[in-house]
Amino acid sequence: MNLVNRREFMKRSVGLAAALTVLPHGAIRAANEKVIIGVMGLGGRGTYLAEKFAQRPDAEVAYLSDANTRRFARAREVVEEAQDRKPKLVQDFRRILDDGSVDVLINATPDHWHGLGTIMACQAEKDVFVEKPLSHNIWEGRKMVEAARKYKRVVQVGMQSRSAPYVKKAKDYIQSGKLGQVYLVRVYNMMQHPRQKPSPDQPVPQGFDYDMWCGPAPKPAYNPSRRWLNQWEYSCGPIAGDAVHQLDLARFLVNDIPYPKTVSHVGAVYGLRDGRETPDTQLALFEYERLTLMMEATLWTPYMKKTPMGVRESDKFPNWPFSSTKVELLGTEGFMYFGRHGGGWQAYDSSGELVRSEYGRQGDREHQDNFIDCVRTRKRPNADVEIGHYSVLPCHMANISYRLGNPKLEFDSQSESFTNSDRANKLIKRQYRKPWVVPENV
Amino acid sequence: MGQRWSGQPSKETMRCSVWLSLSIVVVLCHCSYCKWLEVNDLEVRQEPTELGGPRIVVEYDIKDPNISEASPAYVFLRYSADAGDTWRLIPMESLRGSGFGIVAKPGQKKVIWWGTGQTSFADLSLVEVRVRAVQMARVPAGKFALKSLPGGGRDESGSIEPDPNLAPYYIAKYETTISMYADYLNEIGGEGAGWNRRMSNPERCGIIQHSNHTYSVKPGREDFPVTYVSWYDAVAFLQWCGLRLPTEAEWEKALRGGLHLDGDRVKKNPNPMPRRRYPWGDQDPNAGGLWRCNCDGDKDGFAYTAPVGSFSRFSSPYGVCDLAGNVGEWTLDWYSTSYHVGLDGFRMVRGGSWMAYPSACDAITGATRLPLKENSIMGFRGATGPIKSR
Repeated sequence: MNLVNRREFMKRSVGLAAALTVLPHGAIRAANEKVIIGVMGLGGRGTYLAEKFAQRPDAEVAYLSDANTRRFARAREVVEEAQDRKPKLVQDFRRILDDGSVDVLINATPDHWHGLGTIMACQAEKDVFVEKPLSHNIWEGRKMVEAARKYKRVVQVGMQSRSAPYVKKAKDYIQSGKLGQVYLVRVYNMMQHPRQKPSPDQPVPQGFDYDMWCGPAPKPAYNPSRRWLNQWEYSCGPIAGDAVHQLDLARFLVNDIPYPKTVSHVGAVYGLRDGRETPDTQLALFEYERLTLMMEATLWTPYMKKTPMGVRESDKFPNWPFSSTKVELLGTEGFMYFGRHGGGWQAYDSSGELVRSEYGRQGDREHQDNFIDCVRTRKRPNADVEIGHYSVLPCHMANISYRLGNPKLEFDSQSESFTNSDRANKLIKRQYRKPWVVPENV
Repeated sequence: MGQRWSGQPSKETMRCSVWLSLSIVVVLCHCSYCKWLEVNDLEVRQEPTELGGPRIVVEYDIKDPNISEASPAYVFLRYSADAGDTWRLIPMESLRGSGFGIVAKPGQKKVIWWGTGQTSFADLSLVEVRVRAVQMARVPAGKFALKSLPGGGRDESGSIEPDPNLAPYYIAKYETTISMYADYLNEIGGEGAGWNRRMSNPERCGIIQHSNHTYSVKPGREDFPVTYVSWYDAVAFLQWCGLRLPTEAEWEKALRGGLHLDGDRVKKNPNPMPRRRYPWGDQDPNAGGLWRCNCDGDKDGFAYTAPVGSFSRFSSPYGVCDLAGNVGEWTLDWYSTSYHVGLDGFRMVRGGSWMAYPSACDAITGATRLPLKENSIMGFRGATGPIKSR
């Protein structure tokens, strides 16, 4: 089964078809040398990544960076416990980029810093592990790809499920034709989020470089009750922040289809009317070349559950009807339930009989292994920057439709812009706050 | 029955009483330091009663002159019915007398327990009782300046607004020490529950496990705060004591003080700095070259943790020590964010640590941790009282 439009696929100077191409340049560490890492952003995910890479015998975390010095202690503690050498603590991530001994920047900042942080790292000849969603907007994502290619950097996106072995088995099963022609893929991201609790503006706490934290985004009065995850200037909303994992998996399973032709979207804030900008309900239909991808995302569905921890690392399956992060693939000959977080997959034949079951495990370790391996070998990683761009693209398209009142939008893959809405095209790129501007020419 | 009415114990109960007294004296000698308050002259006897019985009477002296209404002792009793193999907390509801729970005056105390009837001891000669006391600080009821954004109290959804008007409660004056925790480990026994290998780190903790699941403390480390405890470890220890973790709001009020330090019912002692940033006021922890808490680096005198109370000159308005720095402290509160709800339930840690920048040792800095995580910068202290943080 070949669902990829090859003509579109190869238009970019360096496309996905080159995924196994060895990059010709870049400092290749000797096998016995450690990969030297700086971590930018020390929230929960950044601290987790710092710990995991510090625990590796083939890597060393040399820098920890966050605009908020209050975050230093927790990350420093786990790194110092995991490795012999103490990391340097810097509030300005550019000190990491200035250090020629550093090979890698891990970018685990909020969404609005992913693009510029990654591009600046590429310009400084660092390889990058950047958390999902790849970019804050469509234009920025393409600039990240351009920077990675121009400076010949390895850029891995934190979409770790791609590296889990059970995912590859599912893809092979589908590619073998067991499901027939897959014309419909349903992606779910059905969560239960809390309300944000508004409170008055506050003075910026001592030790917090709020200007740096805002970076390319506007700098309003400091108010920690206004969650950045719920504001468009800092976040891409819940589908890019979370559902992108399932969207990426769905794309992977059907041969990495790159561009949707259209998006039709319905969305609203139904339950969480707490001043947030981002919707709590999003239903989107994406028309690809030969299939339709349907996404359902909610933030008010407590009975829908993420894959339980007891399932993620064991031979069990989620309770599929109430799995909040499942993917359903509907083919002409069969059907597949697929679970994120190591949920495994189960396939049914045309009579509805269960014909294949595969347990899963999470892919974090494999994803990190793959990244370090690519840093050494200069190969393209499993979740290469361009893959990340294509996986977050539908999220941006759906969000733009929502912000414009849910019109159906048509997308041109060559120009990466909309063909039927100038208003939509104005949301392809953000306004960057000086001096934190992504240049046209990276 | 005639003997019991006359108050003369039988030979059998007398033997038991003497045995109990001896065994408890030995136990108290073992744990009468290192932030357990000292308890002396303990005597346990069994007496007949008119209506049924017999009952167990525990008498002891607690002489610490610092015990007061503002800084009382929390006293709890644990017993073993199988010669020390297993131990249980005696429920406070079962007790009568002046010497359990919050004890606000030093002196001779008496606790009465109809334990034999409640627990159906098969062999009284196997019964042991242990008495321990923790120094607490009283925090009167009333409003305070809640400056942080607490995680979620006991409400996982985080949908209820935090309430800065708290009921009265008591919070431990000191962080739980290594020796207190080792005492707990030695009593709960088992297969090593509550201990992990990292606790043997001599610089950052110092609890050594021996082959028979007994524990010792590296000499000199007794008064340092226990570290490498998960949220579950902390809760288990406090349940062993009959205490609980403080909520974030309780923790913050203990640091900053209420709008009136004597509470809203009295209101004669207004808090001069109700919005203070640190327990001692607004001065930075190292202002003027004087270190007021144990934070990043060794200029404060400590490269790692410090013995609890080392900076007691800079305690909170209620005399609570080390709320700033030393170890971050687990709280009862959930942390609810978009992506964490329904997954594992992060818990909030407050108070900076020996590894934190000075400015991060203030009243509002919090960190989120998965409850299973433990590390060398996190410990805990206990609290008791009705919860009204949410």
